[in-house]
Amino acid sequence: MRLHEYEGADAFESRGIPVPRRGVAETAEDAIGIAEEIGYPVVLKAQVLVGGRGLAGGIKTASSPEELGKLSEALFRAKIKDLPVRKIMISELADIDRELYAGVTIDGFSGKPVIVISTEGGVNIEETARTSPEKIASVHVDDRHGFYPYQARAVFRRLGLPQRLIPPCVDAVVKLYNVFKSYEALIAEINPLAILKNGSVVALDAVLEIDDSALYRVKDMLPRHQEEVENPLEQKGKEIGVTYVDLDGDIGLISSGAGLGMASMDIIGQKLRPGNFLETGGGITEELLYKCMDLVMMKKGLRGLFINIYGGINPIHEGARGIARYIKEKSVTIPVVAKALGNHQEETWEILKSGGVHVVTAAATETAVDKLVELVERK
Amino acid sequence: MSILLNENTRVIVQGITGRIGSVQTKWMLEYGTNVVGGVTPGKGGSIVENLPVFDSVEEAVKETGATASVFFVPAAFVLDAFLETVDAGVEFIVVVPEHIPVHDVLKMRDYAIKNNVFALGPTTPGILVPGKGKMGIMPASLFAPGRIGVISRSGTLSYEFAGILSEKNVGQSTVIGMGADPVVLSNLPDILELFEADQETDAVIIVGEVGGEQEEKAAEYIADNMSKPVAAYIAGRFSPQGKRMGHAGAIIRGSAGTVDGKCNALNAAGVAVLTSPVDAADWAVENSSS
Repeated sequence: MRLHEYEGADAFESRGIPVPRRGVAETAEDAIGIAEEIGYPVVLKAQVLVGGRGLAGGIKTASSPEELGKLSEALFRAKIKDLPVRKIMISELADIDRELYAGVTIDGFSGKPVIVISTEGGVNIEETARTSPEKIASVHVDDRHGFYPYQARAVFRRLGLPQRLIPPCVDAVVKLYNVFKSYEALIAEINPLAILKNGSVVALDAVLEIDDSALYRVKDMLPRHQEEVENPLEQKGKEIGVTYVDLDGDIGLISSGAGLGMASMDIIGQKLRPGNFLETGGGITEELLYKCMDLVMMKKGLRGLFINIYGGINPIHEGARGIARYIKEKSVTIPVVAKALGNHQEETWEILKSGGVHVVTAAATETAVDKLVELVERK
Repeated sequence: MSILLNENTRVIVQGITGRIGSVQTKWMLEYGTNVVGGVTPGKGGSIVENLPVFDSVEEAVKETGATASVFFVPAAFVLDAFLETVDAGVEFIVVVPEHIPVHDVLKMRDYAIKNNVFALGPTTPGILVPGKGKMGIMPASLFAPGRIGVISRSGTLSYEFAGILSEKNVGQSTVIGMGADPVVLSNLPDILELFEADQETDAVIIVGEVGGEQEEKAAEYIADNMSKPVAAYIAGRFSPQGKRMGHAGAIIRGSAGTVDGKCNALNAAGVAVLTSPVDAADWAVENSSS
């Protein structure tokens, strides 16, 4: 789960990382009220969960209540990379001397947390990584012992940061690692980690993504968070407990695994256009597949539906009943093609056929997709 | 010899009294796996599928001589059970459950490596050695004995490839799901090393997917260490990219993680890159010695 910047900033602050004075506005009046307490000039930052927000027009500066009112009204009406702006963070304008970068994530292959630091942070950090790798340093952390100031000092020295700036930067990075650990994060990042003209250090952005599988352990530390899924179909997928991704095409897809779903999309995509990705995971029941059918069929203008499921841990014969029941109840008329193999496959085929599904018993997804193509093009 | 599991391996099932654990135990036994007992804390003394259930892994190992364990333990308890299993001296562990917190997996991986334990998962269908046994949830009807090794990041795609091969009468030596999580207990090169050394495997198929850098690291390993032919399929060419926010991953990994990056790395290492799963059968026929 990705936290908004204002939520991340609260988490950083609670662990002692310096962050600017700030408030969250839901209306232009809110914004002006907050700015009065902070003092002008202020920065307006749209709270949308996308990268490259600044370049997309989501960050502005205001020097007066009039300007702030106008800018925040415009921002509330705008969309940043297709996302509506519901909240704007108003914060004090920092007098920046220099921008660094600090991030903590997991190196999947080595199975260790990795700290990444650059003496040139800001919006072009990935460009810097490509063109000037000498300005970036990373250090893997032995999780058993944790991350200590001496390790951070060594990194900053290696990058040539002036001695007087090292102590506050080391302090911020060690605390960032503590945030990463205590919030069970997948990523904790400060970009930019700003050095101000007065020599102090401030986190001017706060990226914090928490491991969904660990949410039950950290939820008490989080604000009452309502995850905003903008797409209503994707929101519904979340509610019934499956991964649904809305796509541009007109072929529905239900699969029982992420890899199988991706491969199905790759194969469908050679001849038709997938309208969604849906992956059930290992929890198939009759009810779940009924709901999956309902979800996929909510998309307007579908020309066909492809079902690709395996009976390993999943009782696909039970799932098949949900599919067949949905097709009968809702009188589905578009072609539905299914490949269903594994435990209880024969029973599954019988149930699906009774619901009017075209069952392909070959092993390869390609064969089943060919059948779908034939049926869709005949219509 | 197959790798990691054969008909003599003494296997225990952790979480054997659960709904899924008990059904899967029945199917593992039906396939001929040498399951010798199970563990569920608090249920010691009960019987599942005629097998004794123990309260602790230590007791189970002492009473049954088990050297391998397969997990059907709820995600929240997996870390605890895993450390217990390593301490009890089990050599090979298959962690089937999904949704295990990744910070737990870091600890499990670290502990397994330190204690020389080989482990698969999390989020894996496990391992199946056709005709000899299986640990996990793979649907046995799709597999056939033979000489092609298969390693898959995705569970369901391991079934797809086994099914495609078996349908064309190309059998498999061992099929392994390495786990679909961003951090897994054994990496792709670790498993390739076992296949390279296995006298019953002629050639290996890697079933990868977009994201991470397992396939890129495998390419390095193959170029330097493998004599057997290797083919690879990478799923996810048409998958939408998530709304990425953080930079740390991109900074340390550079171009790694994309389908093209993986295919190029594998190609350069002499791996046959398959454009569709269905191409696996012909490739396997050409690259089998018998």
